[in-house]
Amino acid sequence: MPAPCFTVFERLYRYLSRHRKPLYAVTLLVIGLACFAASRATIQEDIVAMLPDDGSNVDLDFRLMQLAPFTRNIVITLKSEGAEDTAKLTAATDRLAQALTDAGAGKVTTGPADMSGGLFGWLGTRLPNLVTSEDLTKLEAASTGPEVQSRLRQSYERLLSPEGWAIKGSIQDDPLSFSALGLEKMRFLNLIPNMRLVDNHFISEDGKSALIVVESSAAMTDSAASRDLMARIDRAVAASVPAGMSASVVSGHRYTLANSETIKRDLWVVLTLSGVAILAIYLIFLRSLSAFWVFLIPSSILMIASGAIAASQGNIFAVTLGFGGVLLGMADEYAMLIYFYCRQGGKDPATITGEVARPVLFGAAATMISFAVMLMSSLPGQRQLALYSMIGIVAAVLISLIVLPHLVKPAPEGKLPVGTLDLGWQLPHRAVLGVWLVILGLCSWQATKVRFNGDLRAVSMVTPELLQAEEELTRTWGDMRGKALIFSQGKDLESALRLNDRLFARISDRVPAGELVSLAPLLPSEQKQKENRERWTAFWSDGRAQRLAGDLSREGDALGFSGDAFAPFLSTLTAPPPAASIEGLKEAGLAELVDSLIVQSPGVVRVLTLVPDTPQLVAALSEELKSLPGVRLVSQTRFGDSMGDAIIRDFSRYMTITSLLVLVLVVALFRKPSRIMLVLVPVATGLICMFGIMGMLGLEFNIFNIAATILVIGICVDYGIFMVCRLTGESDPAASRSVLVSGLTTLAGLGALALARHPSMQSIGVTVLLGVGAGIPAALLVIPALCKREIK
Amino acid sequence: MIACVLLAAAPGAASAETPAANQAALFSSLERSAGGVTTLSSDFVQEKHLSMFKTVMSSKGRFYFGKPDRLRWELTAPVASGFVLKGEKGRRWHQRTGRSENFQISQEPVMKLVSDQLFAWARADFTWLKREYRITVLDEAPAALRLEPRSGATAGFLNHLLISFSADGRYVKSVEVHEKDGDFTRIKFLNTQVNKPLQAELF
Repeated sequence: MPAPCFTVFERLYRYLSRHRKPLYAVTLLVIGLACFAASRATIQEDIVAMLPDDGSNVDLDFRLMQLAPFTRNIVITLKSEGAEDTAKLTAATDRLAQALTDAGAGKVTTGPADMSGGLFGWLGTRLPNLVTSEDLTKLEAASTGPEVQSRLRQSYERLLSPEGWAIKGSIQDDPLSFSALGLEKMRFLNLIPNMRLVDNHFISEDGKSALIVVESSAAMTDSAASRDLMARIDRAVAASVPAGMSASVVSGHRYTLANSETIKRDLWVVLTLSGVAILAIYLIFLRSLSAFWVFLIPSSILMIASGAIAASQGNIFAVTLGFGGVLLGMADEYAMLIYFYCRQGGKDPATITGEVARPVLFGAAATMISFAVMLMSSLPGQRQLALYSMIGIVAAVLISLIVLPHLVKPAPEGKLPVGTLDLGWQLPHRAVLGVWLVILGLCSWQATKVRFNGDLRAVSMVTPELLQAEEELTRTWGDMRGKALIFSQGKDLESALRLNDRLFARISDRVPAGELVSLAPLLPSEQKQKENRERWTAFWSDGRAQRLAGDLSREGDALGFSGDAFAPFLSTLTAPPPAASIEGLKEAGLAELVDSLIVQSPGVVRVLTLVPDTPQLVAALSEELKSLPGVRLVSQTRFGDSMGDAIIRDFSRYMTITSLLVLVLVVALFRKPSRIMLVLVPVATGLICMFGIMGMLGLEFNIFNIAATILVIGICVDYGIFMVCRLTGESDPAASRSVLVSGLTTLAGLGALALARHPSMQSIGVTVLLGVGAGIPAALLVIPALCKREIK
Repeated sequence: MIACVLLAAAPGAASAETPAANQAALFSSLERSAGGVTTLSSDFVQEKHLSMFKTVMSSKGRFYFGKPDRLRWELTAPVASGFVLKGEKGRRWHQRTGRSENFQISQEPVMKLVSDQLFAWARADFTWLKREYRITVLDEAPAALRLEPRSGATAGFLNHLLISFSADGRYVKSVEVHEKDGDFTRIKFLNTQVNKPLQAELF
């Protein structure tokens, strides 16, 4: 006798059997409204869905990483295959740059801004603002009598050479080459390690490659815009790169395009394969027009779940929609159970509905619990996915229990195709249990080998061409995109620069020479500039300026210089210099560099410092920088570790809480320990085999495997419930058929994803294929074998 | 005297006197004459009229050119120094310091500017010269030209050049480099020998 709560559906069936037209109309209306809401949804494609928003700052780190120089740009390496010929290379670079500009690719840069903008003059005039105590020690050595004589003679000789025509002004301003001190500070601005400047072009050390940087307004996450941009770039390359040269393009847009095209190709392959497979399963096991309604349920609930999310949240993450296909695979479980009971007939449909309601509701409750736990995830994408799946499950249960029984007619004489599927009751139970235990033992051992990989690149499509282009880029130019970033953040430029000064003082002697990139030596804060000026003034006011003027006059006279030849220079020793400013640096030819290292937004200014991203240095600096509030170190390698930690943390929490809640539910529903154990056989077997085989094959566990594991738990618990309900006498053999057929459709729908090339889809496919693939035989063979043993 | 030269070289006056067709014919003729030159070797005297110096600073040296891209500029007095250019590469030396260093022309903007000028004069490369300068013909026989830079970067320190060719138009006899502030440098090429074999070690 069904429990009263399940007779609701029996009574509901009887009532609605007299009002079928309104029932169908309401169902269609709900689906129609959901379609409308879903069509209005905004699809959010960016990575924010998979970044924790729990205050762990992983998302902030990710956003900050996007501010690294060259990360948002398209980087093109033009390579000459023949012998070094920089003239030809720079000419070809200019042609390609022009073609890219004409194609509307964006702002194209082939070298620093015109260096004739007066960088040397700028360094000379701003020197008093930039000198440190160490610099003044060097200056003291450079301004002794013999040194003045030597340096002035050198300037004199340069004036006599043809170069003298162009450098007369700088010699007049700085006859003793003091600005070399400023020039030395330029070594902290080496953003591209293996680069030299040739005719104001970025050229590689071997002289065979040129670098072109394109700044585009196309969002990297926008696949349509990325396709358009890459087409423009490819056209420009094809039209302007001469024979004997090649261009390789590295950009986030390329990745977006590769991912988008791979997913499209995968969907085509997977949907075709799974569609054919599901059709074959329906033809073999269902063979009835009523099966058409079962077939319609998954697509209906997809619409309902998408519409509900769109109506409540406005936007849907692309990853949620992608998972919709997964939902399709499990939505037919409940419909399938009801279908087979109704087709089997033998009882009044209302009674059948009441009886089937129990396993359906128990199974749905277990699956709901699994997904509800995922609501606690720190990843917004996973939370939305959980809500989406829960809405889908509720819709699937309601349509299956309320609408479907009215649409499925009993088969003639209750005979179903393919005959009996109760293999589990026919095989020798000892053999079945023996094989099961061996497999469990082997998989338990191998499961310990599974490794967690939190790197987002592990779930992103990286084609061999992209990988080769990245390797080529690093080989040619050095590690220009892989540095760790240190942000000095302030509410305005001055406060950010002050912090940057303190940061530089703290780390400059801890980072290997030539590997630290910082603006601090060339653009100190106003406060620091004032300190430096005062130190400069004190240095020269100590009688040194007069001594130097005397030495210069004497040595100059000997070489034929007029008395006032160096008056402008001498006046700079004591006159207040113009401040070193962003604008000045930009005008002096360093605009690109300044824009790369200073990121300004309303109310926040961040100044970047770059250091090598080695674990030892990052760990040491992280500790060191704790005492500098406002300074934040972001490391790509550490970010991957943090993501990995977040995944492990989330996963451990899910598994513990889900296992406990499912156990509590199963205990509450089945009470008897032996029944409880039987219900859990498919889920335990599915999970152990899934981890075991992944460990055996060396597959890593990533962010997409988590969601798929929850799905495996939900589906496999359902199988256990469906099978064990039969043993209580409240169900009948249609359960085996239902488990087998819905299991096969799940494998056809989701397992086909294992054939996908895209890592995220493949991860879901492999997890479901292994977990559900092991859960089905456990439900169909092991539960009956254990039951027979129990009965004996 | 300088003022007289400058006045005589006023662009408007000269342009009016030399129609475009005559100018083109002169350039072609100079290019043809220089086209037959494979090597040049010459002494030179340089006078620097700079306000930085109390008097005119004179120096002298030797100049060698081998078509298409070899050039040696050697100062012998008052200091011994110089440089050699060969294709993209260069080497400079100073006798006083005893130092010698190799360099890439393209990596040294100032040296590139200088070498472009020297090669253009030596080769009478009017395609390049017309691209870089507005040229006015001051005299046709022997040819004398006034060149005003087109690019802002060059115009930052250079006002104009005055170039005089030999009577047969095969080589440059003198160059004057006039700067923005009125300073100027005059180089006179003497004892020029055309197409005389040059020793390979010179470059």
